Amino acid sequence: MDVCFYFQLHQPRRVRRYQVFDIGSDAYFDAAKNDGVLRRVADRCYLPATRILTDLARHEGARVSMSISGVLVEQLKAVAPETLASLQALVAADGAELLSETSHHSLAALRHPAEFAEQVRLHRVLMQATFGRTPTVFRNTELIVSDELASRVSKLGFAAMMVEGADAVLGWRSPNHVYAAESAPSLRLLARNYRLSDDVAFRFSARDWSEWPLTADKFAAWVAASGGDVANLFMDFETFGEHHDAGSGILDFLRALPAALKRSGVRMVTPSEQAQRRPVGRLSFPHSMSWADTERDVSAWLGNGLQHAAHERLYALRDAVLGTGDASLIGAWRSLTTSDHFYYMSTKWHADGDVHTYFNPYATPYDAYISFMNVLRDVEQRTAEGGRRKTESGRRKAESGKREAESGKRKAEGGRRKAEGGVRKASPARDKARQGRPSKATAKRKK
Amino acid sequence: MFGWEYPPYSAGGLATATIALTDGLVRLGHEVVLVVPFPAAPDASGARVVSASDISPNLRMLRVASPLTPYSAPASAAPWARRLGPTAYRSTLFDDVEDYAQAAREIAARHTHDVIHVHDWMTYAAGIAARHVSGKPLVAHIHATERDRSGEWQNPDIRRREIDGLRAADRVIANSYVTKRQVVEYGVRDEHVDVVHWGVDRPDDRDVRFRSPFGEHVPIIAFVGRVVMQKGPDYFIEAAARVAALNAEVCFVVAGTGDMLPQLFERCIALGIAHRVFFTGGLSRAEAERLYRMASVVVMPSVAEPFGLVALESLRAGTPVIVSRTSGVAEAIANLLTVDFWDVNDIADKMLVVVSDPVLAAEVRDRTREELQELRRGPDESARLTIESFQAAIG
Repeated sequence: MDVCFYFQLHQPRRVRRYQVFDIGSDAYFDAAKNDGVLRRVADRCYLPATRILTDLARHEGARVSMSISGVLVEQLKAVAPETLASLQALVAADGAELLSETSHHSLAALRHPAEFAEQVRLHRVLMQATFGRTPTVFRNTELIVSDELASRVSKLGFAAMMVEGADAVLGWRSPNHVYAAESAPSLRLLARNYRLSDDVAFRFSARDWSEWPLTADKFAAWVAASGGDVANLFMDFETFGEHHDAGSGILDFLRALPAALKRSGVRMVTPSEQAQRRPVGRLSFPHSMSWADTERDVSAWLGNGLQHAAHERLYALRDAVLGTGDASLIGAWRSLTTSDHFYYMSTKWHADGDVHTYFNPYATPYDAYISFMNVLRDVEQRTAEGGRRKTESGRRKAESGKREAESGKRKAEGGRRKAEGGVRKASPARDKARQGRPSKATAKRKK
Repeated sequence: MFGWEYPPYSAGGLATATIALTDGLVRLGHEVVLVVPFPAAPDASGARVVSASDISPNLRMLRVASPLTPYSAPASAAPWARRLGPTAYRSTLFDDVEDYAQAAREIAARHTHDVIHVHDWMTYAAGIAARHVSGKPLVAHIHATERDRSGEWQNPDIRRREIDGLRAADRVIANSYVTKRQVVEYGVRDEHVDVVHWGVDRPDDRDVRFRSPFGEHVPIIAFVGRVVMQKGPDYFIEAAARVAALNAEVCFVVAGTGDMLPQLFERCIALGIAHRVFFTGGLSRAEAERLYRMASVVVMPSVAEPFGLVALESLRAGTPVIVSRTSGVAEAIANLLTVDFWDVNDIADKMLVVVSDPVLAAEVRDRTREELQELRRGPDESARLTIESFQAAIG
């Protein structure tokens, strides 16, 4: 029995509250807030957890995989270089296999094949330059996948792709095997075991959970008993220290896990090793699927009129933006493709008031939308000006820096992934689906 | 139930709330004796309406009707109200309150009841008097505190009566958590205060819209409410000037009256937007309803807003609302465009988007419709929660 860990590392560049009166300023992003969130997450999670993994790799041969978005790497370079160095050390120690994704954690796969391919290329180049590795396994933003996308990913030369082990796709089948894509049989699919993944990612610190406290040995025994060939445990890296703070014992759990897995006879493998296995069957995704929400679809990002309008407007500007050749404008535009901006515009749970339960830089989805659309208007203007605004931008930056500092004060910081974690937790249907860990009956069924 | 505002003598949200609540209680099968301090309109509600003026000859329509609001210049300026002059509260108001309390004793003795329900400070003395006679539990409903009405210039007598009434009550119902926090600050125990948001009828599906009188494609941005400091009409005007500078079409309507009108006129002239801001004075319910269905957006930059029924009425008519984020209504409805009342740039930004971006307006409209369609926010749900509070009071 094997186990395969994949941790997602990503933080968006959040757009500041950008009013119509700000058009003319190219300071789109809330530098104070973004830096604050990054420092907090780096201190609480990225740095300590990476150091633990590096130790485990050196002394116990522990192996995991990580997908690190390009927007995060760029921010780490600027704000938390020591954290980036620790990630480089982990990769150098062969403790983590790097996965491929879009450079800007975007939804390009759903909208623009050329931009998607370009962002995948940019990410690959960045990984090579930063870590000296070129990933061979792909994971798309929020594990979004469709038949059409799987065949495109295969054509880009990837051996395997991570997907959600959704009941709707697997049916009676267990996620604990390697599958092939129906639309691209040479592409291996690694399906997330959401029950076991969520035991750690969501339930670990839940004191009202019947299995609390979850020890490494108990969890390793569950993994060993889960049946099949390999349990794919995919989660946000922020799980370790941010979603569950250090006081919950999550970092100690991480430290103790490899030894416990070994005692239970479970081997830690990487995605590229798994891709060597023979697939037991094929999976098909007629509709776009993701790992989010009860629905496991893309409605969290492209579910309402605001999100569609903003996404359409963004991509309508692409060719003109690229045509300017202005690197800073193109970079800003790409940062706007990040999925989080659209997530903040979701009105899906708004009616329940659940929106208030999670961290989000905006008071309402409407604020998110209004700021984003105002920024796009400025992008459009700059594009029309052909990037001739550069001379003024220094002065404007100084002005907006002040504003950013003010807006940064407004709210307490929090991890962006807390947001999604919170929402997922807040969704009653999904909560129910997750109640307790898999029963013996489920485990048996899988065997 | 001791009311104060009731048709045909209504000026503010209290009358609307009283009608919705009594209707809801009656629909749930409860018997309501609604006491009003003036000759009653016979068909205004399913409740039995008892007029205190039949008992206390001192309570006459003219004298008692004015504190309905109980503000100096009621929004629906009836002829009698216009004569009242500019002072904050009429000197006879406290006499009216006392007369009402006297009448309440007799009414409590005449009509059997299980619980006494009173609305805002004007009726608290009546409720206490009634309880003295019948010994039944007293539930004090609070829709707006003296602080909400008057800000820093509170009337100490009214504040004292308000606090005494709330403390004396066996249970308190606040119309929002915003209001509840104030009640708890007054020294009422937290667990004795229930929150019942005002209900509003579900939106009708007809989606009737009226054309803008300024021209077919001229959007209207409306302020609806008393033109007093607490409602923030001055912030509306400041934001309007910013919008006018960027959008040559849009017109502004200020519907309501109040002591800040002269100041607003002057400010509009100084800002050079006097030709685009229209002051309608107080509107009847039908007129307000028409305005909601003409406007692209209704703006309520209230400094203090215990609830904000105008927001619900506007949403019900399918018109988005920009509202101060500290308003009580923001607790009940999620799909509002929220602002800090002092942030006029933010208000202006949102005004501009709503009038120019049909996607946003449609999203707000659709989501709000879903919210309002949930029965639990309707008047029957408010009535049900009120009954729960009564039961808690009865024990």
